Formats: sequence, C-alpha cells, structure tokens
Amino acid sequence: MELSRRVFVKGVAVAMAATAAGSLVACQDQTGSGGGGSGTGTDPGPSGGGAEAAIVKTKGVCRFCGTGCGVICEVKDGKLITVYGDPDNKSNMGLSCVKGLHLGQILYGDDRFVKPMIRDDKNTKGTPGGLREATWEEALDLVSTKLQDTWRNDKSRLAFWGSGQQPITEGYALAKFWKAGLLCNNIDPNARLCMASAVVAFMNVFQTDEPMGSYTDLDLADVFVTWGANMAEAHPVLYSRLTARKVSGPGVKHYDITTLRTSTSKTADKVLMFRPGSDLAVANAISNYLIQNNLYDKDFVEAHVQFKEGAENLGHAYEDGYDASDAGKTVNDVTGIDFARFSERMSTYTLEYASQISGVPAADIEELAKLFGDPDKKIMSLWTMGVNQHTRGTWMNHCIYNIHLLSGKISKPGSGPFSLTGQPTACGTAREVGLFAHRLPADLVVNNPQHRRYAEAIWDLPNEYLDAIEAPGKHTVRIFRDLSKGDIDFLWSCANNWAVTLPRLTRYLGKNPEYKGIIDAFIVVNEPYPTLSTQYADVVFPAAMWVEREGQYGNAERRTAVFEKAVDPPGEAMWDTWIFLQVAKRVLEGTMIGSTPAFDHLFGFVWDSATDDLIADQREVNRRLFNEYRIFSNPDLNDAAQAINKDSEGKFEALLKMENKQLAPYDEYLDNAALTWPVREVDGKWLATTWRFAEGKQSEGFDEVGIEMYGDAGKPGGVSFYKSAGKKPSAVFRPYEPPAEEPDAEYPFWFCTGRLLEHWHSGSMTRRVPNLDNALPEALLYMNADDCAALGISNGDKVKVTSRHGSFDITATTDQRVAPPAGMTFAPFFAEEALINLAVHDYYCPLSKEPDYKKTCIKIEKA
Amino acid sequence: MSIPLPSVLKGLAALSVGIAAGYQFFSTGTTRKALLRPPGALDEPEFLSHCLRCGKCGLACPYRVIKYDDSLSQGTPYLIAREGPCRLCDDFPCIAACPSAALAPVADKRAVKMGIAVIDRDLCIALQGMRCEVCYRVCPLIDEAISIEYSLRKGDSHHAIFEPVINAEKCVGCGICEERCIISDPVAIYMKPRGS
Repeated sequence: MELSRRVFVKGVAVAMAATAAGSLVACQDQTGSGGGGSGTGTDPGPSGGGAEAAIVKTKGVCRFCGTGCGVICEVKDGKLITVYGDPDNKSNMGLSCVKGLHLGQILYGDDRFVKPMIRDDKNTKGTPGGLREATWEEALDLVSTKLQDTWRNDKSRLAFWGSGQQPITEGYALAKFWKAGLLCNNIDPNARLCMASAVVAFMNVFQTDEPMGSYTDLDLADVFVTWGANMAEAHPVLYSRLTARKVSGPGVKHYDITTLRTSTSKTADKVLMFRPGSDLAVANAISNYLIQNNLYDKDFVEAHVQFKEGAENLGHAYEDGYDASDAGKTVNDVTGIDFARFSERMSTYTLEYASQISGVPAADIEELAKLFGDPDKKIMSLWTMGVNQHTRGTWMNHCIYNIHLLSGKISKPGSGPFSLTGQPTACGTAREVGLFAHRLPADLVVNNPQHRRYAEAIWDLPNEYLDAIEAPGKHTVRIFRDLSKGDIDFLWSCANNWAVTLPRLTRYLGKNPEYKGIIDAFIVVNEPYPTLSTQYADVVFPAAMWVEREGQYGNAERRTAVFEKAVDPPGEAMWDTWIFLQVAKRVLEGTMIGSTPAFDHLFGFVWDSATDDLIADQREVNRRLFNEYRIFSNPDLNDAAQAINKDSEGKFEALLKMENKQLAPYDEYLDNAALTWPVREVDGKWLATTWRFAEGKQSEGFDEVGIEMYGDAGKPGGVSFYKSAGKKPSAVFRPYEPPAEEPDAEYPFWFCTGRLLEHWHSGSMTRRVPNLDNALPEALLYMNADDCAALGISNGDKVKVTSRHGSFDITATTDQRVAPPAGMTFAPFFAEEALINLAVHDYYCPLSKEPDYKKTCIKIEKA
Repeated sequence: MSIPLPSVLKGLAALSVGIAAGYQFFSTGTTRKALLRPPGALDEPEFLSHCLRCGKCGLACPYRVIKYDDSLSQGTPYLIAREGPCRLCDDFPCIAACPSAALAPVADKRAVKMGIAVIDRDLCIALQGMRCEVCYRVCPLIDEAISIEYSLRKGDSHHAIFEPVINAEKCVGCGICEERCIISDPVAIYMKPRGS
C-alpha cells in the first residue's frame, strides 16, 4: 500500500513541476473559449488522450517581484493549465517560489471583472456595491467626456497613477498620450512609493538611473550586506542564489543590517540591529573608518570620485505646503567640496558615536568596515524598502554609494551596490519610459530644453511643442493629498491598488469629514478584480491580466524580457493599451498637431484606419510601440533626434549620449530573455552588458562599447563612469537626522510594514489563489514577547493599533517568523481586513517624495 | 459575471481525484490505529479508559477543531490537522475542561506531545529547490521543532535547497504545518500521531 501511494505521489510531483500529462489532463474541462495564444511550440498532446487538443507552450516572465524569473506557460483548449519555471532561463533555472508556482491561478479567481462597470450614485463609494455593468461604448464615452472636460477646464486637476506592473509598451503609450497628447505632467507611478529614493540617488550620484552590477555578482561576492531588505521573503529565488554562494563559496559572509529579525537575518552570519532611522550613522561610521584608517582606495577615489555636501536640517515633509516651504525648496541643493572637507564632515561619525545613536555594537560596525577596507574582498550591498521608504531615503542611498565609492567596490564582478526592485517592471516601465511627473522616456526630464527637443524629434512634434510641460507635475503623495482636498477632479489608475497601499489612508479614503474629495472626484480604475480601490471607482475598465496579452518587463538588473500572450482575457476584458488608445482617440478629437489630427499624429502608426481600431495583431502593436520607444536610446534611427543628441548646432551644454542606454530591436527579445541593456550590435550579434562602466570584452558582459565611445580605458579599477558629470560620480556627505516621530509615552512602539513570501503586495491576486491564501490566511502584528506580557496580550489576541494618523484592528502574535526587538512591531500589508495603512504616516523623503512606511509610532490596546 | 472554473484548479482537482482513493485508504488505515489526540492526552490505552466521551474538551476549544465521530473514534476526541490543527493556546482550555484527566495538564506548549510531523520527501517542493518553506514559517516552535538546512542544489551552482527538517525531540505534533502546506491532496507534511 505504501508503495502504491508513492507511485501516485511521484506522478503528482512530476505533473506539477513539469508538464501536465496523461489521463489526468483528460479530466479537464473541454469547453474552452479557443486559444488566443501565439506560442513558441506545441507538444503532440497527452498520450492516450485520443482527439484532444495539443498543449501550446508560451514563454513568460513572473509578474510578481523584481527578480524576473522566466516561466513556461502551458495552454490547452484556451486555458492556462500549468506554469513552471523556465529551465533555460539563466536567472532562475527552472525554479520559482510558491507565488510563482501558482501564477496560472491568478487569472482564474471567480470574481473577475468581465464587463465595464459604472457607478451611478457616488454615495455608494467605499462600499462593495454600487457598480453596474455597462457596454464598452458607454464606459469609454463617459470616461473620455469627463477627462476631456477636466483637461479643457484645468489640466492641473487631472491625474494618472501608473505602475511598475504595466508592461513597457503599455507604459510607453500611456506616457506619450499624457505628456505629448494631453501636455500634462500629472502622471506618476506607484514606484514613487518604492523606488523613488533609489532613483533620485542614482541621478544625484551617477547622473543615470540604473544599477551598474547584475545578479551575476551574487555568484561571485565574498561578502553580502543586506540593508533594510528581507530578501529571503521578498525576493525568494534571488535569495536562493545568494544562499547558494554562501554555502558553496569558501568563507563567504553575510551581514544583515536591520531594525528587526526577519527570515533574512536567520541565514546571516551577523545581524546589526539598529534603532530606526539610524542606519545613516552606521553607514557613515563605515565611511569614516575607511578614511581615518587609510583603508579607502586612494587611486580609485582620486581618479573617479568628486565630493559634495548638501542642504541639511530639512525638517519633515508632512504638511501639504512642505515642498514650497523654505526648507522644501532647498532640499536638492548641493555644493562641491574637497576630500579634506568631506573627511572632516565624516569625522563626527566615530564607531562610538554611531554605536550610541544606533545601538549597534561598535565592534560589529568595525568588523564590517574592515571588510570594506580589505582590497581582496568582493562585497555586494543589497537594499530595498528599509532604505528607500525612509524620511532620509535618498540620503541613505547616498551613504551606501559613499562606502562603495570610497572602497572602490563598484562596477566590478562580485562587488557593487545593488538596489533591488519590488515590482516586475519598476525599472523597465515606471523608471525607463517616463511615467514620473518630471520625466520623459529614457532618463530624460521635462525641465531640460535639450531633452524636450529630443523627445519632440522622436515624436515628430513642432519645435518647442513640449515647452508646455516644462514644469514637473504632481508627485504621488501630492496627487492623493490634493484628491482628498477636492483639488483633483479626475483620477485614473492602472495595475495598482492605491486604496490599500497608500499610507495615511484615514485621510485619503474619505473617512475624515475634512477630506471628502475622493467621493466627489471622478475616478477610473483599470482592474481585473474587485479591490478596495474599485470601491471608490466611478468607472472600472475590466483589464486583461498578465499573459492574457503580450507585454514586456524590465527587472532589477536592466534585463528586458517579453512575455507572450498565452490565453484570451475572460468576457469583454481588454488589454490596457487598447483602453488607453480608445480614450485617447476620443479625448484628442478636434485637437490638431500642425496640420494633422493629434491622435493620428501620435498613434496613427498603431491604428488601423480600415477598422478604426487598434491594429488587431498585438505582437505588431507591441513591436511598433517598442521600436519607437527604442529610438530614445538609439538616436541613429532618427536623423532629427541624432542631430540633437550630437548637438550639431552647438546649442546645449552637455552631450546627451543616448546611444549608451541602447535597447535591441523588439524581435531580439522574443528569442532571448537574457538581454540586459545596454545591448550593442557587434558583428551582427546583439550583446548584453552585465557590468556597466567596466572594462573588458563586450562578449563577456563588460561595457567595452560604452567605454570605447565615451570613457577612458586604463583607469584605476578598470572602470570609467562616463555617464557622470566629469566622469566622476559624487560622494555626498549626508548626516544622520532623526526620524519624523519617535516613541513617547503616548505612542510607545515603532511600527514597521513590509512583505511576506506567500502574498504579493496588496494581495489582490495571491489571496485569490486558494493554496496561497491557506498558507498565509491572516495578516498578523508581530510583537516582542516581553512587550506582549507587559500589555497582557496573549498570542492570538485581537488588538487595536492606533497612531497619530489613524487606527486598525489586527491579531497579535509572538511567533518568531518576524522577531522584533522590544519596542518594535511589524505587520504585512496584504490584507484588506487589517488595513494597516490607516495608521501609517505619510511623512516622505523631502528629496524623493517617497513616504516612510517603516517608522510610524503607535500604541497597542487589547481589542 | 461567472467565469469558468480555472483550468489549473481543475487540473489539480483532477490530480487529486486520481490519487484520492489511494490516500484515503492509506490514511484511514493509519488513523484506525492512531488518531491525533488533543494536547495533554494520556497514552492511548489509558486515554481510552479515562475518556468519558463527554465532549467538554471540544466545547472548550476556542478554535472548534476537536472532532468526535461515532464510527471512527467512538465518541473520543481527535483532530484532523489539515482541517483544524491545535493552536497551542497559552492556557489550554481543553485540558482545563477535561473532567477525567484523560487530558492531563502540560507545563507549556513545548511539553505537548500530540505526535510528530513527517515530511513526504517525494512531495515536498522545497526539496526540488522551490522557495516554499511554508511549514517552517508557520511553526509555533520555529527554529526549534523545525529548521532549514541549506545546501547547494544538485547540478545547479546558482541555487540552494532550503530543506525543512523536523526535530523529532522538539516537534509537538500540533499540525499547523500540515494545515498550511502548499501542496494539497495529499499534503507534503503530515502528522504521525503519538503511539502510531
């Protein structure tokens, strides 16, 4: 009997991990809606299945975290039956996490929106009811009329909130519609909530928004430092790679710098537990130690680094008027200083001083500093939201770069600072196509005239046409604060769930009589499933999910990957590009660019005039959009753009050098998911770049072409930072400044938010997968056992959490999955019923405008 | 707004139909010998002689997971871990409610001995290199009763195996890992009741 069970069991494992095969599949529903796939290959079909349809395989990319695991989708009778890790994908080699293993099921929750929905009575907002089915014609006309009215009346009163989950071409089409079509900068992505601090620091330090290293560094490093990152849960497969290096590399060490013990701390050799906000002091102490003990790389620093200090005593961004205040206006100011001045500023941060502020033993900081001072050690820093969601998030990014610049551990195989991303295409879309309020595609910014001329050339716009968008628009927090005050009349969002993920929801969700704007504004949401956000929508457009259309993601290591369409969306759901362009067509009716109608001018190349609709072939639409977007990084494809790039008339100050960010033609990505940009054509082959700014052969992943064109060979460390001003990145001194709130008698606990492995972000997808929901059915408040005892709280008790900003109810636990020290608490944000963001404050980093989700002060009472 | 049932779910359902018979037979065979008793239960013969079949432990259980069944348990209390495991309450109300000391007081949750978790190595996806370890993370005695052993994945220098390992000395057999296991029908980790 045991034997027979084993046989069955093995069958199951094989079926789940590889291909659904044999008679088991024959039990499946045969009434599928017909394949919409454009697969890469077919299998002859299950043996013994008779006349059954073949299984079609398509290539995909996981749509959860920023790791970017490749997957294979198997489709039969128009249904996605299996998703498994792509064994040929170099990044994940067939592996996945439990979320990835259940990817296929996210399409098949039983409450998909399959028709456009309209809310007739605004009084039903904030309730599960109130939406009725509508035709596409009615919904598109209604949204277009509202958008057009607001647009003609006052552009500052409309806004789009985009996402690091929108595929590249969809984001690009949207950015073009908003910036060139509506001439409006009120568009910002949810990446403002996770990557903005990283982005601002990238631009400040390197003048380019990209990591220089890659995942390959995980295979080569001698020391890993995780800063405010629970990689073990938030980047599961990438963490497997780090762990593989740890268990196989001789003497490989991992230091976890954190405010609470997480799953990541458990595998670390040493945990440096710091008091919230004091990580700046710890990082500065390492920099100072390197300087004071002559352990920094002098040749490297001399050749490659310039020094700066900036505006300080910034106060805290909480009041609506902060950005326009005296402090708020100066936050970006920096001054060049010499190394002596930089060293002097750093000299305050002795090991003892940092220890006193942070609570980290001086000996532990010294141990890590010595490793940075060892020229033979390859060190990789990895960080995520603990660093970015920080009232001094941009500064903290600077502090990490300072250490790597001083030690010369950057742009070298196995050594480098690496900013991880949390969404599948936070880099590829939100950051690269220009979804931010101040950006244009490919690192260009609206307030730079040369950048506007360059965009005008590619979009074939009249000279100075884009001067209308010279001033940056509203950032995310500003959009939602203005919405709450009644200063936004039209809000549209896509691929996000702002009613769960924004901080300080008590203000935004209309629960405060002072802030009822969300009820009055006209809100449009593109969504596959009912969420808390759709409860506030006036119109819901039913959106195609993931592989229900073809799209592209760009992951944390500059890797661009296409996912093919595998199945048709259910009911009348449509892909976002179609929705955007249908609205654009209506809104731009009557607007001319030069002598042509604006819509035709901007989107005629993807429009089929015979059917008066988007070209039906999705691959072709994607190809055309991508190849136009690609001109931004390959100016030689457009003479007018090239003239501006090369500044042939001598009008501009700096060389744009757009071609160093190169992307390959679209079709190259269909066959190769491993192209990390810049992608260079060398002898007819498209070659990726693994280590940016590093000397070596292009064919081995080094930046040979870039250095040859713009950089200097033979410099110390074998690197040349040719994108930085003067080819020198900036080490900027940033002091420790205290958090916005600190525990006191009334609110004695820190509250930190984050993510856990089984669920992704607001849970709108993973909670609809029964196995994932069963594995982690409830969001808990993780507390220290001594704190619980002092408050008379038992494991499993319901508690009420209150901050100065709001309150929520949740179950408390002393389980050690997340183990906070005394005075610290933690909860994940995937659960709508324990809506933790009601209490989280919305103080943001004054430079990046990214809110701090990690340091709200709370009190806890037994409910 | 009705959407056809997910094919993946159906696929898995089909799989589970395929093996359900085998599993049922197997597990019934086992459970006849040994049931997962509530915490504090005396050794099986003694337990059977003390238990009054009064049902008070089940009424006292705040999670309502204690079952009684005429044919299977003849009125004595037991748990089906996958449906409802023991939450190891701080104050063990089930034990307090037992009038016959069939459930005897325990010092704390670490002193409970309902059984031992067993990982089915053929089913466990963590052993294939998938990042799962749900059983580990839900364990109320994490890093004591269950820990993770790290090793390089065979034939893959880029990834590690995160293998959950049960410590038979420390596992109390509460069944929470079996309840939460990501693999269903059969689950990849199951309770071996004490005395079986």
